[in-house]
Amino acid sequence: MKILVVDDFSTMRRIIKNLLRDLGFTNTAEADDGTTALPMLQNGDYDFLVTDWNMPGMQGIDLLKAVRADAKLANMPVLMVTAEQKREQIVEAAQAGVNGYIVKPFTALTLKEKLEKIFERIE
Amino acid sequence: MLEAEGLITEDNIARVKDLLATMEAGNEAGVKEVLDELTHIRESDIYQEMGKLTRELHDAIKTFGMDDQIANITEHDIPDARARLKHVIDMTDKAANRTMDAVEESLPICAGMESRSSNLHEAWARFRQRDMDVNEFRELAQQLGTFLDENTIDAGKVRNSLNDILMAQDFQDLTSQIIKRVIALVEQVEDKLIGLVSLTSEQFDKTIEHKEKNGLEAAGPAVPGLDDAGVVSGQDEVDDLLSSLGF
Repeated sequence: MKILVVDDFSTMRRIIKNLLRDLGFTNTAEADDGTTALPMLQNGDYDFLVTDWNMPGMQGIDLLKAVRADAKLANMPVLMVTAEQKREQIVEAAQAGVNGYIVKPFTALTLKEKLEKIFERIE
Repeated sequence: MLEAEGLITEDNIARVKDLLATMEAGNEAGVKEVLDELTHIRESDIYQEMGKLTRELHDAIKTFGMDDQIANITEHDIPDARARLKHVIDMTDKAANRTMDAVEESLPICAGMESRSSNLHEAWARFRQRDMDVNEFRELAQQLGTFLDENTIDAGKVRNSLNDILMAQDFQDLTSQIIKRVIALVEQVEDKLIGLVSLTSEQFDKTIEHKEKNGLEAAGPAVPGLDDAGVVSGQDEVDDLLSSLGF
């Protein structure tokens, strides 16, 4: 399972990568916003996307919409990990087809639960 | 804006009576002359009022511009605050990375201790049940010796990492001091801005409605007590909201 972690803060990318490794996902790559992430997704063989919302360049919500609009990527599971916690935003992400939504600050257990739930639904 | 009683004077009443008489007499040129005179009186009042306002505004701007503190804030304090806040970001970034370095060093050490312990467990259990011959016991004793040596070294490494994590938290004290200074500056700027607003507008309306941001614009982390409207309080509420949407 190859996972792309998108966040503009390197510390947050590092935290998520460490947590993913602890859960057994060792094949991860990083991008610092949607603009760099989208071509990586289009040209790579990623199975899963973890993205922040608020980033310079292309925001996470727009990356999610671009992924859903791309025939090759449309079915890729997307987990949002973000500090954005307005109800409208969560609804917007749900309507755009997000598979899971985690608000920062979060715990290792939350990440584990959401990942398991997403995989459960896919199987 | 113009004083009503300033217009109703005996002179003006005489002028209006004159105007009526001139009109009734059919004197076209005379009517024009009286009307011009009246218009002139009215215009000069407006010019005077405008002149007064311009002077007041000019004085206000001069007073405001001559305030050394404002010049100082603009030229020095704000760029200074910007640099200090940048330093706060650098310090927190460094602390986070230093902490994660220490954690990443310790994790494989702990994993090693864990696997060595579980390897010994099985042999140790057989020894306790006296299900072990002399040769096996000799091997176990050797393994135990190595285990204790390695554990002593590894525990020391983990202790060093933990101390390093502890020391990396010193940023909190330093960044708080810097941020407090910037808050004091923001208060000063606020005072000056209130002064400016009340100079330029006599009816400074303190109840001006806070313009709501577009809900779908990224708002950044919600601050308790400031961003409570329309915001979920944590992961549980996110989960409830999503499950109400059929997730």
